[in-house]
Amino acid sequence: MKAPTPIIEIRDGKKSFGSFVALENINLSIHEGEILTLLGPSGCGKTTLMRLIAGFEGLTSGTLRVSGEDVAAVPPERRPVNMVFQRYALFPHLDVFENVAFGLKVKGLAKSEITERVKRMLHIVQLESLANRYIDELSGGQCQRVALARALVNEPKVLLLDEPLAALDLKIRQHMLAEMKRIHAETGATFIYVTHDQDEAMILSDRVVLMEKGRIVQIDRPEDMYARPKSLFAAKFLGETNLFETAVADSGAQGTVAKTASGIGFLSRNGVGHKTGDKVVVSIRPESFSFANNDEGSSQKTQGQVEDVVFIGSRSFYTVRLDDQAKVRIQVQRNGRVKPPEPGSRATIYWDADNVVMLPQA
Amino acid sequence: MLLRLVVWTILAFLVAPLIIIVLFSFHASASLSFPFTGFSLRWYQEIFGNTQLAGAVTKSLVIAFFTALVTLVLGASASLGWLRLDRVGRAVIEAMSVTPIALPGLFVGVSLLVLFAQAGIRLSTLTIVISHVVIALPILIVAMKARLALFDPSLEEAARDLGASQRQTFARVTLPLIAPTLISSAILAFAVSFDEFVVTSFVAGTETTLPMYIWSMMRRTVTPMVNAISTLVLLFSVAILLGAWLIGRLRRQSAISARAEP
Repeated sequence: MKAPTPIIEIRDGKKSFGSFVALENINLSIHEGEILTLLGPSGCGKTTLMRLIAGFEGLTSGTLRVSGEDVAAVPPERRPVNMVFQRYALFPHLDVFENVAFGLKVKGLAKSEITERVKRMLHIVQLESLANRYIDELSGGQCQRVALARALVNEPKVLLLDEPLAALDLKIRQHMLAEMKRIHAETGATFIYVTHDQDEAMILSDRVVLMEKGRIVQIDRPEDMYARPKSLFAAKFLGETNLFETAVADSGAQGTVAKTASGIGFLSRNGVGHKTGDKVVVSIRPESFSFANNDEGSSQKTQGQVEDVVFIGSRSFYTVRLDDQAKVRIQVQRNGRVKPPEPGSRATIYWDADNVVMLPQA
Repeated sequence: MLLRLVVWTILAFLVAPLIIIVLFSFHASASLSFPFTGFSLRWYQEIFGNTQLAGAVTKSLVIAFFTALVTLVLGASASLGWLRLDRVGRAVIEAMSVTPIALPGLFVGVSLLVLFAQAGIRLSTLTIVISHVVIALPILIVAMKARLALFDPSLEEAARDLGASQRQTFARVTLPLIAPTLISSAILAFAVSFDEFVVTSFVAGTETTLPMYIWSMMRRTVTPMVNAISTLVLLFSVAILLGAWLIGRLRRQSAISARAEP
């Protein structure tokens, strides 16, 4: 069976501004109905990529297809794509209703249809009661909803969201994330979400496109990207991790064994293709360490001194100084069975080969 | 306390001449000095009987209107173009638009006169309008530029993104948003033209504008009628400004009421 045509497909995309290369080697297929996040530090090209899809910029080379059609010559107003701008770009001379109705009005729809569709959309974003308010009379969260409604009322195939939560404070942000998921489910549109915030990316996305310096470094489901980062950059950018500089000591069917200079060995079942002597960085997430040996066969261990404990409700963060002075952060879930060590005491820490990721040195 | 005193002194200093003029425009006698000998509307009556003066006022209004119109179209185009320039382009345009402001009116007047003579353009109302545009345009561009710099270009992108063509974007977003700036700028151009004297005196030929008429009156004798005219001009200016302010408010209220129906 042939795979369905991706809603957006970029092949060998490159974008430069003068001598500055903003994007390079962009190959990306976006499926209908998914929430795809473009994640990366500022300046990685994620916003440029979004503006290319919206039609505000053109590719220097390569192709961009929307529903299989090359859109190089299609101006933004004729693309089946709508955008939620970073600072919303709501029209200050129009009220909420008129802002949302804008797209339908310029398309020349009948007045009754416009009213009906705008009302339905205002209902979805729960802003019916504010229809006659002006933009400067709204809170940040309300502006956000108006911006969403203004874009979605046009029933775009693809909704682009450019860091839509960046201007909101933390509490509203969490609420809006849930809201966004609900609206996505209700409308069925494809969402392309630009953010530099890994939490937003993890919570929201079906797939994450991680970008660095104008290139895509990894495309994966959030949980896979977290568990199996393919580069040091990915390991560090998504979540917290412990890194160990090692050299491969043995590579066989059982997995790869790498050792630090001080002799701590790590067995990984994930590091494929490494040769003996290769320098690799071992990445282990804080929650992949444990003070209890709960899986006899595969557990590996080392010893250290507990330096510091921070309790955060159901979890605790331990800082353990290993015998070679390396510090390791360990996250422990609170439970009654295992008594965690006291600060200052010696402890043995365990980890599982499945959670050891070996990465090429950057 | 001291600061407050300074502020009031400055304000009094600015307003005092206006008060004197308004006061003496109602003076019963022809004397322009105290003691005040009683109120009368005789100077106002004289104004309305004076057909020469009426002609000069009409001429000034017509010239100011066309100056405002031409300056507005040119200035708005220039400013919108300026918005789309890069940093270097902006600096060049800025320098060019500020230079004429720094030139003395006398110099501008002579240059324009020479220019019209060389080009073989007969001095007329047209040459006055052209000269006033030359004077008002740089002022208007500077005023507009400051306001338009606050214009958020992502609003235009948002409109395009929502399906508006370039023309629809201009009509539905750009123009309504810059309209208050345009109106206030046009009023500024109107005001600059309406009381321009120095340059006008070079390029007017046989035409007489209101400031020129007042000047010629004062050269003969200093008549209290000048005070009455000035008072009316003052009232006129205040009325224009008030009108512009009201337009700004009404536009918004009508937008609200238009949405009130279900």
